[in-house]
Amino acid sequence: MRPTGLESLRGLQAALAETLIPELTSVHAQDAAQTMTMLLESLAAEADTAVADLTADIVAVERLLENARALVAELRQRNDKLGAIVSEIDGVLREAGDASLTISGLTARNNRLRAVLERLLCRLEDLRGESGSEGTDALSREVYRHLRRVALRGWSFWDVASFRERIVRARAELSA
Amino acid sequence: MLAPRIEAFLRSRLPEAADITVSGVYRIPGGASRETWSFDAAWRDNGAAVSRGFILRRDPDASVLETERDLEFRVIGAAHVSGIPVPEVYWLEEDASWLDRSFFVMERIEGCETNPTKVLMDPGLFVHHGRISGQLMEILARIHEIDWQGHDLGFLGVPADESACGLMEIERWEAIVDREALEPQPVLRAAFRWLRRHQPRPAQRIALVHADYRTGNFLCDPEGNVRGILDWEMAHLGDPLEDVGWFAIRPWRWLGNELVGGLMERTDFIARYEAASGLPADLESVRFWEVLGNVKLAAIFLTGARSFTEGRTRAPMMAFLGRNVARLELEIMDLIGV
Repeated sequence: MRPTGLESLRGLQAALAETLIPELTSVHAQDAAQTMTMLLESLAAEADTAVADLTADIVAVERLLENARALVAELRQRNDKLGAIVSEIDGVLREAGDASLTISGLTARNNRLRAVLERLLCRLEDLRGESGSEGTDALSREVYRHLRRVALRGWSFWDVASFRERIVRARAELSA
Repeated sequence: MLAPRIEAFLRSRLPEAADITVSGVYRIPGGASRETWSFDAAWRDNGAAVSRGFILRRDPDASVLETERDLEFRVIGAAHVSGIPVPEVYWLEEDASWLDRSFFVMERIEGCETNPTKVLMDPGLFVHHGRISGQLMEILARIHEIDWQGHDLGFLGVPADESACGLMEIERWEAIVDREALEPQPVLRAAFRWLRRHQPRPAQRIALVHADYRTGNFLCDPEGNVRGILDWEMAHLGDPLEDVGWFAIRPWRWLGNELVGGLMERTDFIARYEAASGLPADLESVRFWEVLGNVKLAAIFLTGARSFTEGRTRAPMMAFLGRNVARLELEIMDLIGV
């Protein structure tokens, strides 16, 4: 059995920390090597779950857009400006699913969906306060809950520094 | 490798000096927007031996920021003559033949610490945190009092009026996100919409804004004296509260708790700035500038990420920074209440 990608990344981190960094004499080189260690930590934190996370994100955003479509299509009868976003949602949901499970393929699909989500949020804000738009606030909250879940993933050097207590709280809030 | 080239440059700038030698050249870590080098130079002046430490700031091959190199040089010069603790600047050189890229040379302030972890956690400095906080707010207030017209700093771009400062910065950073983002940015876009709807009260005066005033960008000696304010490359004219908001954002808290700058309770921070400047700090305006600050930092990281992705730099820092935008998104969502 060969080492996994994750095990290999951990090995690279160990080699940097134990073999290379102690030999470096310039503070700039030491700093660059420590940055590499942190970059590897960031990659390692995502390596094993990247495909699962992207797949889950795609499913979640597709569901959000489907819910949005039903809501916005109803409001569209009173607001012509909503036609474009309905067409966009229809277009991105109709796209032939890419059977590829490559990270690049999944990322591209996720990005196309997020681009529509970005514009949907803008339209939902425009509708706030209009009669018949009561459901849009709940939908916006769902969208931001998804964006928070995504923003909390992985590892950042701030998690052990500036964001230390905030990240602990945010993860507890999300799992509650 | 750089030493003989710096020696040649110094010979051109110090024609009266004899036997110039340069030693101890090393690159100072950090500085994702501009390379910072330290060196020692010695020469004879009318027979007398002279020895000085210098800092050289050189344009990088690619950066998290695209700034005019003479901006920082001119602003530091104005700050110095206004009595702000900054290194004295000596020479600006735009001819790339000397050191491959443009650079400027300034004084090296000796015996100081700038690393935020050391400033905040070193037991010798910890006891001085109250005094450091007081000095930082007093210096910030003095920066905001600099006579920018008298120092001919209008080239930084004068806001149309006091109410235009917020929108000017929104437009500046939105244009950068438009240009640099590699992927959709629903949170940053929502933040820009929030910023447009929640613009701050008109600035109480149009002031010189340092724009990167924070823990990590000042030099502190072992007795807790703030000896130098660094990194002026984003300086511009605008609302003084912009610096207050930037100082307060979570990324510069370092210790992981709620202390502003890792140094002060929020109420203490606001009170100290108000007392030093005489300017009331409207809390909603400060919140606007905190949101803008987080968005600005995200835009800076996105710029570095694009430089890396497009192959203009191979610095791992640029890739690494680009992977930290998510935490800023989280902070932005907290601040705008979504």
